[in-house]
Amino acid sequence: MLARKMAPAGLALALAVAGTPAAHAEFRPTKTLELVVHSGPGGGNDILGRALIAAIEDAKLSPVRIQINNKVGGGGASAAAYLAEKKGDPNVIGVFTSVWVTNPLAQAEANVGIRELTPISMLVLEPAVIVVRADSPYKTMKDLIEGAKANPGKLKQSGGSVLARDAVVRQVLMSSTGARWAFISFPSGGERISALLGGHVDMMVIEPAEAGELIRSGKLRALAQVTDERLEQFKEIPTLKEAGIDVPTVPQPRGILGPPGMPADAVAYYEELLAKAAKSPGWQKFVRDNLLQSVVLKSKETGAFLADYESQMRAILTQAGVKLVR
Amino acid sequence: MDVINGLAHGFGVALMPVNLMWCFVGCFLGTIVGILPGLGPAATIAMLMPLTYGMGPASGIIMLAGIYYGAKYGGSTTSILLNMPGESSSVVTCLDGYQMARRGRAGAALGIAAIASFIAGSFGIFALTLVAPPIAAFALSFSSPEYFALMFLGLALVVLLSGDSLIKGLIALLIGLWLTSIGTDLFTTQSRFTFGQSSLLGGVDFMIVAIGVFAIAEVLSSIKAGEETQVLPVPKGLRNLLPSMAELKACRFAFANGSITGFIIGVLPGAGSSIASFISYGIEKAVSKHPEKFGTGIPEGVAAPEGANNADTGGALVPLLTLGIPGGGTTAILLSALVLWGVKPGPLMMQDSPDVFWGLVASLYIGNVMLLVLNLPMVPLFAQILRIPVYILHPLIFGISIIGAYSVSSNLFDIGLLAGFGLLGYVMSVLKYPVSPLILGFVLGDAMERALRQSLMMSQGELSILVSRPISAAMLVIAVLILLSPLLPRFRKLRRDAIAEEG
Repeated sequence: MLARKMAPAGLALALAVAGTPAAHAEFRPTKTLELVVHSGPGGGNDILGRALIAAIEDAKLSPVRIQINNKVGGGGASAAAYLAEKKGDPNVIGVFTSVWVTNPLAQAEANVGIRELTPISMLVLEPAVIVVRADSPYKTMKDLIEGAKANPGKLKQSGGSVLARDAVVRQVLMSSTGARWAFISFPSGGERISALLGGHVDMMVIEPAEAGELIRSGKLRALAQVTDERLEQFKEIPTLKEAGIDVPTVPQPRGILGPPGMPADAVAYYEELLAKAAKSPGWQKFVRDNLLQSVVLKSKETGAFLADYESQMRAILTQAGVKLVR
Repeated sequence: MDVINGLAHGFGVALMPVNLMWCFVGCFLGTIVGILPGLGPAATIAMLMPLTYGMGPASGIIMLAGIYYGAKYGGSTTSILLNMPGESSSVVTCLDGYQMARRGRAGAALGIAAIASFIAGSFGIFALTLVAPPIAAFALSFSSPEYFALMFLGLALVVLLSGDSLIKGLIALLIGLWLTSIGTDLFTTQSRFTFGQSSLLGGVDFMIVAIGVFAIAEVLSSIKAGEETQVLPVPKGLRNLLPSMAELKACRFAFANGSITGFIIGVLPGAGSSIASFISYGIEKAVSKHPEKFGTGIPEGVAAPEGANNADTGGALVPLLTLGIPGGGTTAILLSALVLWGVKPGPLMMQDSPDVFWGLVASLYIGNVMLLVLNLPMVPLFAQILRIPVYILHPLIFGISIIGAYSVSSNLFDIGLLAGFGLLGYVMSVLKYPVSPLILGFVLGDAMERALRQSLMMSQGELSILVSRPISAAMLVIAVLILLSPLLPRFRKLRRDAIAEEG
């Protein structure tokens, strides 16, 4: 998936965890656990967090209640800062996504980097599909890239922040093909899709769950999926590589981390809890319904993945001309 | 007729006793959530979603939607009684609602809010039933240039017809525009006016500004005025606690305005119910025969925005149910609830899940009646709150305001901001600066800036994109006419005559 360049921090942590194999017997939560998410009720991370809690409660995996805590603001910065304050606390965990990695790189105020927090477990990767309107002249990825090359800077993509995954995918595609097109930010998914459906922009890099029904009803056409292998639900859509564009497929990762300096026995406890939760029927249904890929990694692999992801993002954002502060 | 068959089927679903019960539960919870400032429908629906897992999609969505539109009914209560908006969509209701309460017409204002909500809410649902697919297509033709023109029109409507001093209004507007630009810039991810505070990266929440400049400032002002012995008048007798025929008659146009404006703006994914309520208030004021009376406590000033924020519900459900596109936070969580039950919101939902689609639509009609029946009898009861002596009421308002501000994002920093905005509102009232342009600038400014920049990105920097598209051009022309109208007394007279003939 991603080239594994083991970062020193990840390695040290890996050793720490590996050195305490029986540690999970030591930590046992005795009070209500807190699950910190960075979006408000209804946001992607909030929904994921609530689904996780529901799956855990359904399968009776936790002896105590788990409560969601919405620390909204700064695209993850408030939530990360809150976790950093809880240094060493075994009763608080949080849901991370790619903005936890990219925001601290670009924003001086977001001063808690992803590697300061304790990685616990990767849970899912969210794939993406590249879509155009059904009446678009572009039938394949090749058409789209040729079209963009013929009209440099004229085609438009609607998306979120320039730090978000859809902007990163555009950057990767542009630098590998030499085509150029505009990226127009909209704050909500609804506005992005409306701009595409109304014909005001030409394309989107979108989560399969958001686009699924619009593709099925023939309003949008998917040109490629940003995945390594074809997804179950989109058997007929080629992957980027199959469409002739061999670039790293930038995933949107979501998983769980803890405050800095979380005790190793607590990390081991949550690793085990999440591994069980990931197998629970409630969680598997959530993953299926939202067209996610279940990728469960342990603490040390999650740490290595995040370190890797950070250097990958750093390179892509620098190339995109985003001013990095760290 | 498909619609009639569908609706008949839907009533079959919605009138099942179990669904009637869930509809009532949703509406009731929604009313309470609406009354409590800070606690919004999105948070409540998120919390209650796990309880609906076992319910089945039709019952579940009927209940959760009840919370959504019920909250809009309840939001006006504290706006009117305490100058403390319960929801962001009821902020503008403070302007005239609270002034009505101060004049002893609290009951009438609450009654008008409930009746306007019912009329416009029902209109919104009716329009959703009949014209959902074509109106969704219209919404898609709306993009950034049109949003810019709409926001510009909104600013033109209220600012130039507001207050005694245009300069003071414009200064207040600029403060609002500045406050809304605090936070992370969407297009460059650069932070603006955050002063190194990570708590400001996400910007300032609208509810905190509104509760500060309305509720806190009002308490501070009345402390200064030494109102400790003076309790707001609450007339005795049921008849004096409900709106009079004359007041209802004055609201005829406001009911229609709120219904249509609220529904159309509700359909647009880029404009929420607070924008709908402001624009309908602006339209009401622009066409009124006595615009100078707005802000002094007139029933139209309550009926138009309260109608608009309820008609908005029907509008917001159009893109959700026909395209699977959520327009805001609350509809986004309704969407995820539907996905959870295995219903796929999108163009095929009407065929694939007729029970859920038509059951929900039918339940909206029923829910609106329930809310009216639930809310009207509460009016005389709620009006009694004003009998509480100020030495109890004021600390209570402070307490509820602080809890409300904290519950927005559980951040203590927000309480400091609340105090700051309370002082700002107080200073503004001492210096006789109007507060409504500030709020308006805050609500529209953010969306207007975004739309302008998106338009210019679409056109590669050509300003002509704003006038070369028909809908955008038409709205800009109307906005310019409104801006010029004070300079053209003759035009103004003509316009009033025209309104007089219609009315």
